[in-house]
Amino acid sequence: MSFIDVVDKVEVPKPARFYTAPAFEQVFGIPVAYRRQGKGEAVVLMHGAGFTRMWLPLYGMLSEAVDFIAPEAPGFGETPIPKWFRNFDDLTLLYDQLFNQLGLEQIHLIGFSMGGWAAAEFASFYPRRLKSLALITPVGLRLPDNPGVDIFQLAAPELMDRLFKDKHVMQEFMIDPEDFDEGIHLYSEFAAAARLMWAPRYNLALERRLQRLTCPTLVLGGEDDRLVPNEMSDRYATVLPNARLIRVAGTGHEPCLERPREVADALLGLIKETTS
Amino acid sequence: MNKLRFYFFHLMPYPFIPPTAEFPSSWVSLSNKHYDPQRGRILYQEYIEQLVAAERHGFDGVAINEHHANFYGTMPSPNIIAAMLVQRTTHIPIGVIGNAIPLHGNPLRVAEEIAMLDVISGGRIISGFVRGIGCEYFNNGVTPADSVERFDEAHDLIVKAWTDDGPFTWQGDHFYVPNVNIIPKPLQQPHPPIWIPGQGSLETLQFIARHHYTYMMVFAPLWFTKLAFDGLREECRRLGYDAPKSMFNACVPTYVAETDEQAHREAKAHLSWVFNTGLKIPDQLFFPPGYMTTKSFRNFIGLLKKGKVKPQQQLTYDELLKDRYIIVGSAETVKNQLGEYCDEVGAGGILAAGSSYGPMPNWMVMKNMQIFSEEVMPAFREADGKPDHLRLEPPAPRTRSEFAARSGRPEEPARSRVTGSTELIDHRLAHLPELIDSTMTRATTARAKERPASAG
Repeated sequence: MSFIDVVDKVEVPKPARFYTAPAFEQVFGIPVAYRRQGKGEAVVLMHGAGFTRMWLPLYGMLSEAVDFIAPEAPGFGETPIPKWFRNFDDLTLLYDQLFNQLGLEQIHLIGFSMGGWAAAEFASFYPRRLKSLALITPVGLRLPDNPGVDIFQLAAPELMDRLFKDKHVMQEFMIDPEDFDEGIHLYSEFAAAARLMWAPRYNLALERRLQRLTCPTLVLGGEDDRLVPNEMSDRYATVLPNARLIRVAGTGHEPCLERPREVADALLGLIKETTS
Repeated sequence: MNKLRFYFFHLMPYPFIPPTAEFPSSWVSLSNKHYDPQRGRILYQEYIEQLVAAERHGFDGVAINEHHANFYGTMPSPNIIAAMLVQRTTHIPIGVIGNAIPLHGNPLRVAEEIAMLDVISGGRIISGFVRGIGCEYFNNGVTPADSVERFDEAHDLIVKAWTDDGPFTWQGDHFYVPNVNIIPKPLQQPHPPIWIPGQGSLETLQFIARHHYTYMMVFAPLWFTKLAFDGLREECRRLGYDAPKSMFNACVPTYVAETDEQAHREAKAHLSWVFNTGLKIPDQLFFPPGYMTTKSFRNFIGLLKKGKVKPQQQLTYDELLKDRYIIVGSAETVKNQLGEYCDEVGAGGILAAGSSYGPMPNWMVMKNMQIFSEEVMPAFREADGKPDHLRLEPPAPRTRSEFAARSGRPEEPARSRVTGSTELIDHRLAHLPELIDSTMTRATTARAKERPASAG
């Protein structure tokens, strides 16, 4: 096995809406895709298991105020997945190296859904790199009495339905079920997600390790998250030092897509607060 | 050699579940509250008796497999069933086709169990290795994204454990075993025959060709089986050998009765159940993420989209017949169609022929088995009507005297230095006074006088 062997070499389709071409940075032998725009404080966003390759409305709003960077993890978007890539430790070290190469010293870190877990992992290993941490409907902690639904058991329509509180928002981001290439690509992204999260769906060490954080932290929960129990954001807010919890009105699991303005304002508020 | 070998295949379904329309899947999510162990016990009795009966009906082998958390096949541990069959049969090969080796924490458990079965059965075990279908991955902590890699590595570990002298250290990507030294080792040399199922993917065909293993097709239409078999023949040629027919097993349920009409009448509901109810599995459970490479997934979904293949749960009975997923009819019809089938795809064996299907009642299974063995099987046999294995020398002598005559005493007789002796004493003779008395102290002989030791 070569260090740079990738699992699957496949054409990556371009979503019909919101697609922009990424830049690439060679890290550990693979080209890591990222999108970057704006000036000011460096703000990095770690994506969830989906909605990759797109310059989402939220990203535009943030990039008007900050230097906004959205990398794509191995196996997601346009970043290929190497055979050695297996867990959040691999992802954390890859991101650390990417940030070094991009000249990012201290950052504000945001993560949503699976990316919330990734951001929490990164924060627990590199607390001094963070000026602030914001987790949006994150996963990754154990809720002993409420494991939630198994996302891998959901058919695409049910998954989409559970992501959004508002059906109109769902229509805007819904993938055309007839889009063959997009369907195949989603399968490959879920395969990468399965490497990271199939079992277990939590990291028991995280609660303890997160105690290393000294920066301000914010948790954004959905109003009625039908994919990940609301209890998860409650739990994060309890565990994280210096945390505030905001439930974004009118949202399910995807506040970033459902209420980008409110989310952007909350994130920019946190960033402003920590830099003033 | 016979023209075709027939393997009686059992899935051991549990059919007492709500009607198909009422649940999205008979795997993973359909609650085990529908399983009544009292009823399950009766089914196991019937199923095991059917498998045992296959020996006296003249089948070339019996076959069972591993599935989890479903009502289609209630054999989460096929080796347990194999152990029972070993005890209740005398000469028929027993195919465990197979153990789902990526699912288990330590593949050596499979190596050990198959070795035990092979030794106890006198070398009658066929060892299938499978990845398990996608659904199995929801029932344990193995990510489907590791399935292929774990399969390959578990296979390498098991075969090495069977064939290389231990102890050795296994330093794999997925498994680490500081000391591999399995006891017992399998009886068949270098190891039991290995069968690998496949759905025609190039990776699987190359793997089988490289190792000279036996391929077994899953339920599939004739054209697809042919495509896969042709692909395997091509891979073998590429490696410089002609694949023998015995490398190819098709999987074709057959039901035979007095007339075509009667056969359809009897079999239709049960054979349909296998596909429409037993295999009612939504795509996301059938192909969990990473279970297939994106390339294979793309090929497969491409075939689905083009209408080239249909999900099994949607196949009508007429489609099952037309595409030769199944063969049903009078003895004459089944003989002809089986003959055509095998000539066309080049199969050496048929899995699930003359077997048990879905909720088929016991009497009907026995009826099918009897007519199949009396009126279909002989057409594919030499004049003596025997299965091939009965014409061959068995892997192990059938009697103790035969064994003794051939092997004599062990190369290393059991010997030890008993307390009080200066020489090694052969345990076979260790109770004789010439050898043992001189080692006895006064205290032990005194006790021996009080309480005479039993003879022998």
